[in-house]
Amino acid sequence: MRKKFLVEIILAAAIAAFGLTGCKSHSAMNGSGNSSNGEGNVPPLEGGPNGGITSNGGRPVGMTGEPVKGQFGIVYFDFDSARIRPSEDAKLQAVAAYLKSNPGNLVVEGYCDERGTAEFNRALGERRALAAREELVKQGADGSRITTISYGSDRPADMGHDEAAWSKNRRCEFGIVNQ
Amino acid sequence: MFQRFKGQVLIALILTGFCVPCVNAQVDVQKGRHSFGVSGFGGDASIAGQVTDVLKNDIRLSGYFALSPVGSAEYVESGTVRGDRSGVVIECVVMQQATKKVVLSKTYQGSGQDLRRAVHKLTDDIVQAITSQPGIAQTKIAFVWSHGGAKELAVMDYDGYNVKQLTYDRSISVRPKWSPDGRKIVYTSYKNLFPDVLEVDLYTGQRLRLAAYPGLNTGAAFSPDGLSIALTLSKSGSPELYTMNAQGGDLRQLGHSRGGKSSPTWSPDGRDIAYVSDESGAPQIWMMGKEGGTPSRLTTAPSYNTEPDWSRPPANSDMKPMLALTSRVGGKFQLGVYDHSTGAVTPVVADGADNEDPSWAPDGRHLVFGKTQHWRTQLYLLDVVTGEQVQLPSIEGGASEPAWGP
Repeated sequence: MRKKFLVEIILAAAIAAFGLTGCKSHSAMNGSGNSSNGEGNVPPLEGGPNGGITSNGGRPVGMTGEPVKGQFGIVYFDFDSARIRPSEDAKLQAVAAYLKSNPGNLVVEGYCDERGTAEFNRALGERRALAAREELVKQGADGSRITTISYGSDRPADMGHDEAAWSKNRRCEFGIVNQ
Repeated sequence: MFQRFKGQVLIALILTGFCVPCVNAQVDVQKGRHSFGVSGFGGDASIAGQVTDVLKNDIRLSGYFALSPVGSAEYVESGTVRGDRSGVVIECVVMQQATKKVVLSKTYQGSGQDLRRAVHKLTDDIVQAITSQPGIAQTKIAFVWSHGGAKELAVMDYDGYNVKQLTYDRSISVRPKWSPDGRKIVYTSYKNLFPDVLEVDLYTGQRLRLAAYPGLNTGAAFSPDGLSIALTLSKSGSPELYTMNAQGGDLRQLGHSRGGKSSPTWSPDGRDIAYVSDESGAPQIWMMGKEGGTPSRLTTAPSYNTEPDWSRPPANSDMKPMLALTSRVGGKFQLGVYDHSTGAVTPVVADGADNEDPSWAPDGRHLVFGKTQHWRTQLYLLDVVTGEQVQLPSIEGGASEPAWGP
């Protein structure tokens, strides 16, 4: 009887760990009372693929720190658009090639220039990141290893207020996550 | 940190207090104002000045009154203040001058720090007594405070005072929205790198993570009954609308279409959700039932309409529910109100600055928004009946994405 319970517990843990129950993660962060902001411990994020070529990739499990960037070229976009311009194809090919030959996960960050309302820009930045991800998957990269982060118009690359700056801010950046 | 805030607020108070000229709202509601004379308060002179200042500012911001000399005013205030061990006691009488009728005679008590709160209560009572309309003087506004490359949440009184920082994550915390009971704020947080929907309980400080799916989690908005939250998730491969219960469970997707959806706002009866979709080629406001179903398109012009906010005036108020939004015209952002009967958007703030992110006060008459000039954003209040804009005391670094509390 005890052994059967043990097996069930291990099985349940395995299922949870592989995220087969889905990617729900709504855990409470209890205030520990040690600071005025009441911030408590954050439970580890659940990862795992969400299935399907169109669905978004799962979050990398056990990720520490920010993604390492700078290895890949930045992909740029037209104003108000999430379309991948043909001029940017080569950059995406390089990313796809890297993923096919190397382990690890990829984070695709999507950004907008400052002209646009804040929340809509979060969605537009995400559309750009998803468009880049879709292109990578089309080129044979494993979609379950690619996840997106939209910053909207936050974290601009160029703090200027003209088209020269804005064109540098409408972009996707790629980062490798060390597992 | 807070002391620096106070200094900034005091300096800003001296500099501000002017009304920016504005476009008159073409809203079909009576614009009349009562003249109101503030004669001040006798008693403790060291407190009376501050009490008078807060009252005058509240009376002015209510929109129902025009401050005028006591001798010629329709309504006149008089009273006394005294300090005691526990704080301050304010006695106030408001009289209709022509008839000598006393419309208000009340005593208010507040602790030393709560002096402003006692006066805010007094003002709401004055508004109620004279106009039978709900006042806003006791309400709060949450907003995004930009500084040092980070964005944190903060809450302040509706008049810009008593700013309190909510998050200290040194990350990006944005898009706050209140629960209908005023206890909680849901928002989008990047503190764990990914954009997640978090909820903070204002009384306990406790934080819950409500949505942390792959991709984007943002735009959380409570239903009027407080039991559901609409939000934007991209886990399906494109930003779509979902609802979930207030604990983050029972997740349901609302429809699927080309393009991206964002920025849900609930109808006052809680049955429909208006939102932004760019499936027609550019972002416009659409609407669908809270269970999903066939979407209907609301706006067609101007060519860019986003950030809808649906007002919820109380049943007994003069105001009717209205859908405010942000339009982009000629590269500049305007505030507009959508007219359900004509399908047109009426501009209410179009002055050459960038005016964005309207959030209605619970009276359905005032709203708060962000005005960007010279690439700096500060918060302004708008009275849609009079068309008057008032700048709130400046926030160092900038304030944006305001949310008016219940």
